[in-house]
Amino acid sequence: MHTNQENLPTTLNKELEHRFVTELENNQNIVHKVCSLYTNDRDSHKDLFQEITIQLWKAYPKFRGDSKFSTWMYRVALNTAITLYRKSKKRVDTQDYDSVIFKIKADEYDDTEEKQLKLMYNAIKQLGDIDKALVFLYLEDKDYSEISETLGITEVNARVKMNRIKNKLRTILNP
Amino acid sequence: MMDELELLKKDWQKKEEHLPKLSYDDIYPMIWKKSSSMVKWIFYISIIEFIFWAAINFVSSDPQYMQELKAMHIYNVMMALNFVNYGIILYFIFKFYLNYKKISVTDSSRKLMKTILKVKRTVTQYVWFNLIIFATYMIISLYGVLIFSDEGREIVKTATEQGNEMTFWFLVISVSILFTGVLLVVIWLFYKLLYGILLKRLKENYRELKKLEV
Repeated sequence: MHTNQENLPTTLNKELEHRFVTELENNQNIVHKVCSLYTNDRDSHKDLFQEITIQLWKAYPKFRGDSKFSTWMYRVALNTAITLYRKSKKRVDTQDYDSVIFKIKADEYDDTEEKQLKLMYNAIKQLGDIDKALVFLYLEDKDYSEISETLGITEVNARVKMNRIKNKLRTILNP
Repeated sequence: MMDELELLKKDWQKKEEHLPKLSYDDIYPMIWKKSSSMVKWIFYISIIEFIFWAAINFVSSDPQYMQELKAMHIYNVMMALNFVNYGIILYFIFKFYLNYKKISVTDSSRKLMKTILKVKRTVTQYVWFNLIIFATYMIISLYGVLIFSDEGREIVKTATEQGNEMTFWFLVISVSILFTGVLLVVIWLFYKLLYGILLKRLKENYRELKKLEV
């Protein structure tokens, strides 16, 4: 799969590597956020980050720049998490990890709000892969056209789905 | 719920500062690591399968065996079957390659899942093809052994002399069918399990997206 990169002359190849790693370094937050939604411990987070990086690099020669690097990244990162990534069975201390990634500073919120947010994050963690992807894109402030394009469903369906997810979250929060 | 989600959105955007930060040098070695993605495993397994079946075919095709086949008058049929077999295998290799090339992480999730499931379908077809070919070989061999080999003729003669020819053939046929059937089921179960485990989550996700179409 690396043939495209390997066939290039060395200097060009080096340049491509450099450009890719720099762009990924600047946009790594997107990947970290996807990892934090789809994994429950630090090792899996690293694993998924690694896998997404490989998939991004593999697809990079095909990235023409007709969309923003970040937009392209959302799609590859989510597709890797939903479709290609094989979850490891081990679950190391979920609680500990959650408190790091979804850290909520006590002084920033009053008690009820903090509690509310924590419950919301936990509820989202319980959703299925596809639902998580929708919530993720929603939280990232993407509009429905981008959500539908990433997942391959129509805009109407994306809206319907989002409404169902809201209901689901409601049920999880108020059983 | 709307308000809560809006609140969450604000909070989510604030979280950036708590995310891990990797440096250029952390990321650089990552691009050369080996992928452990599902697609890679499906592809590897299908190649191993192909080698397995080809090896079985190759091992069983020694010259002595060829002579035996000729003696049993099923040489031509077997060769024709081999010819068909390899032709179809070549077709499958080509299809595996095409499917594998088509898998693109930049497609929409639904399209990507569809492609991967198509790869799986090709594998399933390949498995069925192997099972059918395997059964055909078994039947022809059995026919050859019983009708034309010395030992086979001896057995048939003894059975006929003892007067229970019908029972004999009935027994031979049912035992062969049972044996072939059990073997086929075992192989089929093995594949079902192998790809079932590998693709379970993907199938569920695909179904979820597909559900939205109606």
